[in-house]
Amino acid sequence: METQATARALTGDTYKTANLVEVTPQAIEPYDKDWGIAVSGNTPNPSPFKRINDILAITVKSTNGFVAPDAAELITEAYQAHSGEPAILKRAYSMENILDNAPIFIFPHELLVGNLCCDKKGAPVFPEFGFNWVVDEMRDGLMDYSEQRTHDYFKYTPETQARLEKLRDFWDGKTINDVVNTMLDDEITKGSHDGKGVFFADAYVFCGAGHLGLEFDRLLRLGLGGIGELIAEHAAKVDLTSPDSSEKRLFYKAEKIVNDACSRYVARYVTRALELAEAETDAARAAELREIAEICGHLSTKPPRTFREALQLVVFATDFALLECNGHSISYGRFDQYLYPFFKSDLASGKGSRESAQELIENFFIKIWDLNKLRNHTLIKTFGNGGVGGTALTVGGILKDGSDGTNELTFMALDAHAHTRIPCPWMAVRLHNKTPRELKIKVANLIRMGTGEPKIFNDEVAIPSMLSSDISLDDARDYHVVGCVEPDPPGKAYGWKDCGHMNIARVLELAINDGRCYNCGPDCARWEKCGKVGKQLGLKTGSLADMKSFDEVLEAYDKQMEYWCDRQIALLNAVDIAHQIVYPLPLLSTLMDGCVENGVDITRGGTKYNFTGPQGVGIGTAGDGLATIKQLVFEEKKVTGRELLDAVIANWDGHEELYAYVNSDRVHHYGNDDDYADSLAKFAMDTWCKHIERRPNTRGGFYQPGAYSVTVNVAHGQNQWASPEGRVAYEPLSDCMGAVHTKLGSHDIKGPTAILKSVTKLDHARATNGTLLNWKFSPGSLAGDTGRENFIALLEEYVARLGMHSQFTVANQETLIAAQKTPEEYKDLLVRVAGYSAYFVELNRALQDDIIGRTSLSFD
Amino acid sequence: MSDTALVSNIQKYTIHDGPGIRTEVFFSGCTMRCIWCSNPETIEQRQRLGFYPAKCITREKCGLCVKACPVPEKTLVFGDDGVLRRVNQVAECDGCFKCAEVCPPRAIKVWGERYTVAELMKIIEEDRSFYERTGGGVTLSGGEVLAQADFAVELLKACKAVNINTCVETALNVPWSAAERVFRLADMIITDVKHMDSAKHREITGAGNELVLENIRKTAEFCAGSGVPLVIRTPIVPDYNADDTNIRATGEFLRGLPVELAAYQLLPYRKMGTEKYDSLGDDYPMGDYAPPERADWEAHLLELAEMLRRDYGLPAVAGSAGKL
Repeated sequence: METQATARALTGDTYKTANLVEVTPQAIEPYDKDWGIAVSGNTPNPSPFKRINDILAITVKSTNGFVAPDAAELITEAYQAHSGEPAILKRAYSMENILDNAPIFIFPHELLVGNLCCDKKGAPVFPEFGFNWVVDEMRDGLMDYSEQRTHDYFKYTPETQARLEKLRDFWDGKTINDVVNTMLDDEITKGSHDGKGVFFADAYVFCGAGHLGLEFDRLLRLGLGGIGELIAEHAAKVDLTSPDSSEKRLFYKAEKIVNDACSRYVARYVTRALELAEAETDAARAAELREIAEICGHLSTKPPRTFREALQLVVFATDFALLECNGHSISYGRFDQYLYPFFKSDLASGKGSRESAQELIENFFIKIWDLNKLRNHTLIKTFGNGGVGGTALTVGGILKDGSDGTNELTFMALDAHAHTRIPCPWMAVRLHNKTPRELKIKVANLIRMGTGEPKIFNDEVAIPSMLSSDISLDDARDYHVVGCVEPDPPGKAYGWKDCGHMNIARVLELAINDGRCYNCGPDCARWEKCGKVGKQLGLKTGSLADMKSFDEVLEAYDKQMEYWCDRQIALLNAVDIAHQIVYPLPLLSTLMDGCVENGVDITRGGTKYNFTGPQGVGIGTAGDGLATIKQLVFEEKKVTGRELLDAVIANWDGHEELYAYVNSDRVHHYGNDDDYADSLAKFAMDTWCKHIERRPNTRGGFYQPGAYSVTVNVAHGQNQWASPEGRVAYEPLSDCMGAVHTKLGSHDIKGPTAILKSVTKLDHARATNGTLLNWKFSPGSLAGDTGRENFIALLEEYVARLGMHSQFTVANQETLIAAQKTPEEYKDLLVRVAGYSAYFVELNRALQDDIIGRTSLSFD
Repeated sequence: MSDTALVSNIQKYTIHDGPGIRTEVFFSGCTMRCIWCSNPETIEQRQRLGFYPAKCITREKCGLCVKACPVPEKTLVFGDDGVLRRVNQVAECDGCFKCAEVCPPRAIKVWGERYTVAELMKIIEEDRSFYERTGGGVTLSGGEVLAQADFAVELLKACKAVNINTCVETALNVPWSAAERVFRLADMIITDVKHMDSAKHREITGAGNELVLENIRKTAEFCAGSGVPLVIRTPIVPDYNADDTNIRATGEFLRGLPVELAAYQLLPYRKMGTEKYDSLGDDYPMGDYAPPERADWEAHLLELAEMLRRDYGLPAVAGSAGKL
């Protein structure tokens, strides 16, 4: 172990001051514990706790699961019983019915209880979001394993299928999907997921929005009973004569119904635990079960007294949110902050130890992996292996007063990942200029393991970025990471993050081809009403064949972008309104700041901040496309605009020379610290941001642009013809903020320092909905002290240059290829996808290839 | 001196040849012919053509090399599939490299490019912030950097003028006068001992070891006097120089040097660079040599390092990933 003195000596001159935590953190592992390089998940019994290894042994390392029909039936029952009542009451009674009557489980060995009212890996069905697809996929064999669905599949019994089939008629015409469709016309959908796929906006048509952190500080302070009192207090204040009093009284009525039901649900675990204790032959386990009963009895109304109780309430609250909103990315906030007072007081009083807290954290992590979420067979192609999804958990970072918040729990949470090695939760570490060196070492060692955890966020740019969205300084400094990518003030924002995405490379296609798709022709489903009758998909912005200067190209791109952003916003607003009409969230409203106080449901803007966050996809692809056009058509005049268009329209067939040329280092390419190309990638991204940022949304807030793809770069690519920077038809677009990789090779060839500089020339602060850079390192490049120290320096430089977010894959190319060949030998190989980690062998082939294709930064 | 140097490659984020994050400049031209060399493109002090058939898009679809070459029928050999198989560097080829210049996918490429000091400094300065953060800088290597000593001196002066840390990696099979001039501008020197037996040395490097060992002694004196840290390495090639006798002889030699080494690194042999030999049309000198199981001889490397620490008091480590 490095001593404090050496650590201090190693800090060098750059951060000589304020670079070390004042008190050495007392986690159970040393801060510089080295778990090995690129070992990923391939280690048996990773935890020092027998209980945790025992639980891991009965935990399936897969996102596959089964369909659990109970919630759908209970929701339907409530809707039928209250058919004449407003949506918010139907929703409240649905939750009440689930919480009172759905089955509950306590699993072997566990100290923390509660899940989504089904066995491990079960996925409840939420019929309000479009129900037909569920029963249709079962009927058509697309839900369970089949050739069309080789991963993320869900098993079901004939009984389950029959039970759900019975509900089909009831939901016909009542779902969010049905309501959204009443608000749309061809002008809005022609470019959407239902049309030509220039943009997608369907994420929240088929499931809830989620993407938020709960107000844990308040919940842990007040307990469920205290929240009930808060509801009663505000309900009593409603002015009977005010025009909105009826609506408010309705809201508070719903709030009371769900809050009472939450308390009763927690109390159900008392009964269940005592029943199990009675039947338990192992005396030690029986005592544990009685302790669970005691804790749940207390938590049913009262606030937690210990670290364990606080963690237990976090589990329950998150399950409530997931059961109600059917969204993913219900994130765990600043885990090391809101739990710290409980940890400290346990240590002081002797009620808990570091060891007991560590074991609980690990138990907590595995419980997250037990959860699951049903997705349709097309969505899993773009979001493979997500599990319940978006279970981000943030540690580190500065506090509201500007000081560093690193504490023992920061380290313990990171150790817990090394001790469990499962893809949950999605770990995020906030770094900043005063992050203690010990934490950077911990983070570097964790990343070197190669599980893809944790991701790195940068306070130095995330906080200013949030301030630019009118978030207060206190709230901005207190941000956590939601889901894959997005910085967010926990418990205070309904951000509709990741609600849609725009293929900005496709926008470039339409910009330089007079609004027409390159592959316009009779094969297109829209041909009869579009190309055939002399129309085109987009705005007529001229053809590259006729453009006289590069400025005309930029202007065309700008106009085309505005045109598509308008349509995407129209569609997203419709989806948002449909949620307000069909799917109020009374329970979630009890767990967020502002809703109870304002008497307004979260779907209608009840909480403090309200955003809508779609993202731009294909920054590198669009940037290299612009650079290719600028250099080859307008400067070198190697080709005419017509010739370049013809080559792309021909999918490079017969234009092999040009195809090879544009993919070579003769053309300026983004990712090489080359201002020529980097400035055009910046233009491509800024233009997207310009047309999205601060446009008003339906909840009194505004739009926030993101700059990342997660994995939809693969899906957008599969939906797109060739492009001028050297893609052939249907190849993936560039991922997130990364450089272009085509079949002919990577466009970035200068190594990690060049990538880092290129990527940080983009304006991360402007992408208020988040950014992401995926790195891939070969294990040898991170080996030894040298590998670690210089990797930390890269992280520091990324922070200093105001890159917002990075994630890391550490794997040998050969290992990944071998895993494709003999997946059975690599079942535990965790890799970074984007925004999250997943079991490599469970990803579909296209995504596996995309990950293998990311430039490997090898320099050993 | 020449205003330019022939450089085969410039590699950013080099982390194993000197402290911190470095930009490494590989000079073309070497005074040895080590059989395990993994950078064959740096051996000769001239531009070389490399070609990669897998990248060729066929004579039918492209054919630019055929049009560009003055004597294509003598030099360019295509397979039946139209893919370029080989570039014969026959007498008629005057090394104009027009074929490489026009080849769109870079299936034909030129190894080695001439740079001025100013051109190199522009590239070196791009990563200045990384050097400052890590104590890194520039490393001159090769090939044999000291074979272009005049230029190296000018480049190092330019680095010193803007406060960039410098490191020189050399095999030292050069006149001492060349070495000394360059070393005066170095913040660290890295060199290596390949074999203690001169005949064996000649067998595996093409040169005897007398000059090298003599230069190492002088370098050690220079370092003792100037305080410049000296790192010595031995590429451990199983079955060639990994035997105890040679390692002990090396240990004895190093122990006798008049300076305390910053590190003695035993570098693991890796069969690397074979695709570069193929691209040059050269044969990999170690041919089909199959080293022992990696795990076994890596363990052996660790044992050797332990022995050298214990018996010779040397700061011996396996690999170059330790902190300098």
